[in-house]
Amino acid sequence: MPQTVTTASATTDYLETRRHELRKMRMLMVDGNLTTNLRSTEAGVSARAHHGGYWGFSAVPGAGGPDQVAKVVQQARSNAQAMGRFGTRSTLALPGESYVGQHRFNGKAELTPAECNERLQALHSFCKQRYPDVRSTRFLLADEHHSKWLTTSRGGDSLSSIQRAMCYVTLMSNNADDGSPIELNHNISWKGSAADGDLSPEHLAPHIDQLYQHLQAKRNAVPARGGMQTVVLAPALAGMLAHEAMGHPCEGDIVLGGAVTAGLVGQRVASDLVSMVDIAHTWQGQEALMPVYVDDEGTPARDAVLIDKGILSGFMHSRETAERLGMAPTGSARAYAPGDEPLVRMRNTVILPGTSKLQDMIAGVEDGYLLAKTGNGQADSTTEFMFSVTLAYEIKNGKLGSAIRDTTVSGSAIKVLQSVDAVSDDMHWEGGGYCGKKQVMVVAMGGPALRARAHMGGQ
Amino acid sequence: MNLQHIAEQALAALKSEGADASQATVSTSALTELNITHSEPSLLRSTQSHKLSLVGIWDGRKASTELSDLSPESLAAAARALRGDAAAAPLDRAHAVSSGQHTAITRGPMEADLTALADAAHDLLDFRAKTTPTMNIEEGAVSHIRADTQMLTSGGSHLQSTLGWYGISIFGTARGPGPDGTVRTSSFNYAGGETEDLRGAPAHSRFGMDQTMRELTRSVVTQGVADCFGGKFVGDVVLTPMAVSTLLGWLQGQVSDMALISGSSMYKDKVGEAIASPLLNLASRFDAPGIAALSGDGFVAPPLQLLQAGRLQALTPSLYGSRKTGLTHVPTASGGWELAAGTTPLADMLRGVPRGAVVGRLSMGNPAANGDFSGIIKNSFAIDGGAVGTALSETMINGNVAQMLRDVVSVSTERIDTGGWCMPWVRVSGLHFS
Repeated sequence: MPQTVTTASATTDYLETRRHELRKMRMLMVDGNLTTNLRSTEAGVSARAHHGGYWGFSAVPGAGGPDQVAKVVQQARSNAQAMGRFGTRSTLALPGESYVGQHRFNGKAELTPAECNERLQALHSFCKQRYPDVRSTRFLLADEHHSKWLTTSRGGDSLSSIQRAMCYVTLMSNNADDGSPIELNHNISWKGSAADGDLSPEHLAPHIDQLYQHLQAKRNAVPARGGMQTVVLAPALAGMLAHEAMGHPCEGDIVLGGAVTAGLVGQRVASDLVSMVDIAHTWQGQEALMPVYVDDEGTPARDAVLIDKGILSGFMHSRETAERLGMAPTGSARAYAPGDEPLVRMRNTVILPGTSKLQDMIAGVEDGYLLAKTGNGQADSTTEFMFSVTLAYEIKNGKLGSAIRDTTVSGSAIKVLQSVDAVSDDMHWEGGGYCGKKQVMVVAMGGPALRARAHMGGQ
Repeated sequence: MNLQHIAEQALAALKSEGADASQATVSTSALTELNITHSEPSLLRSTQSHKLSLVGIWDGRKASTELSDLSPESLAAAARALRGDAAAAPLDRAHAVSSGQHTAITRGPMEADLTALADAAHDLLDFRAKTTPTMNIEEGAVSHIRADTQMLTSGGSHLQSTLGWYGISIFGTARGPGPDGTVRTSSFNYAGGETEDLRGAPAHSRFGMDQTMRELTRSVVTQGVADCFGGKFVGDVVLTPMAVSTLLGWLQGQVSDMALISGSSMYKDKVGEAIASPLLNLASRFDAPGIAALSGDGFVAPPLQLLQAGRLQALTPSLYGSRKTGLTHVPTASGGWELAAGTTPLADMLRGVPRGAVVGRLSMGNPAANGDFSGIIKNSFAIDGGAVGTALSETMINGNVAQMLRDVVSVSTERIDTGGWCMPWVRVSGLHFS
């Protein structure tokens, strides 16, 4: 795309323009029927202007030719000025450096629809033949590609791209007692398009076999005992805990909104075994699942250390939240769609691995639960969280027992993290989900297994 | 931009590619939105968007695409690509498009009244400052949306809608001192809705927003279930209209395509049977602000009674779902539902609860396929001996959603109308608190 120069003016303190292309593919196969077979492309250009303490934003669809850019810039400026009807406000300095550079993901050539369908059909046939007693199968294959060309009045000039793909495998069976339906899924996500993942039945067989075995165990599941319990959160849940329970309350705009974390910087919020980071783009020399080198305000992205050995250390910031809280921007301002303005969003939020072994952590529980899979989660400004638990097992005298029925785990993240007495040395990454906060956003999360005390739903 | 002309061009392009059946939907929208951030006006947004959605079926093989480039070249390329996509899809004779459907819907204010938007924002901010100063509007929005849609199918259907409406929403928390003097934060909550008349009632008095803001200020100091009730117990919940809409959303999912096609629906063979309390009457209001009485697959959606005195009146498969399952096709719009008001004043309903909670919001995952669920109750207050008391924290309820529908023991005379839904408070017995 051609570049344009974005400059501030007498009527604008700050200006950014973004040309944004978003392509998506989504195919859903239910029992061999392709119920969704969708490809979409959305392209647009936006401008955001800051003037007199207020923001103006404008976006239109299109490839972003000079006329379109001029139109949205003029409208954004006009909108910022129109906000003056609410009175005068202090102008923001909007601190932070400006990034110049380009980042693309160079993956394999994208799969054709026929190739996607072949892979889904192969998985369906594999499951039908291998698990004849499974009542229903669902396979969701999806990928999405974001390309953003950004220029700012501070000299920012960048191209950034995010590509991520996912495959969700769902098997459904019947409860052994009453025949009611039960289901369980396995989610795989990777960087790039569908072509960059190995979807062959041979490759996925061990995962699907394991899913089937869990489903069989779940057919005879017993209810969980409600109340405070010792739980081992499998790595898949620790990532969710990082994102939902402590990640959101550490977003600068949420902090300004009154989150309980606002007054806790420098204080202990977790066991000293717990460290948590929102990684910008690289972890242990490897590019993260959702690499952000530059955010949508043109700020160079850097890691945000949120908890360092149990101590709340910092927050994630846009330029504005950084200024309002007297901190440095972290390059966390991201916009999901061409018509969205940047908000403070997580990138790759992880609890860092420790030194324990998962098997030892289970062996050390006399009476509790292993929480293995989660469906979704929600958080609160208070750090109170809730995750649905779709797969869990009883732990009795250090050994796994019966599977338990779908339930929920909850608690105050601060209390739960303060109770952590073991952190495993492995790491699970997940990048297939969406975070919801005014706009959706592609994010990654990760973590090791944690042993803690939390509130289980149940009678 | 002539939307009908673009839709006609798209259908022609698909026909020239040999499609047996096709559907083209062109839509444009213009949004004007005034944002509030941290209880201050912050941003004025003007965005436009347009989209063309194409569905093509070739010999029982279907594909769909969406694009924002509406040029003739783009349409031709999309039609060609769609043919390739469909060729890769499995044969499924259940695929079809609508035929012979015609309607034109025009409703609501077509132009944004910027002064009215600003007045509404002022009203919200003034109300907060004067009445609930410890509450922080973390995010608020007052908006106008204009949406135009033209849908054509190769079966001769032509559906058009031109809608304009206003939306108002708030989201926030409250802060204040706890009994020990330390500053505490409430759970967040939100409220909002749509209207075609922004100049009528004051903004803060709409959609239950004033009530939400007041309740947040009463939610800074909380107690757990152990402190309030001494531990686990079985009691009643009074679900607020927002929580009722969540409960009914589960039911609507159970009678829709995904659950019906996969066979996981608990209600596939229950039409005509009592599946809920006889106090529940759930009906459509497909003429709600921002809603057109049209289904996504190209049908006019007539009014629908889903529950009549607790009896299930219909399942709602799409055309595809109907052809796939053999069930009667019942088109529904994208939203617009109301639960009939009951006969119990809310105050009497609350007084009748010996032990339980008023539940503002249910924070939970998707219920299990058999309806079992457990979730945190948020923005909720303990009820003890018929008196509403302390805000609750870290309190779970668990039960079964299908059973909850059967265990409704009273429905309030009062309702909250957000446009998209209009719901009363309902009391449900027999929930497990922990």
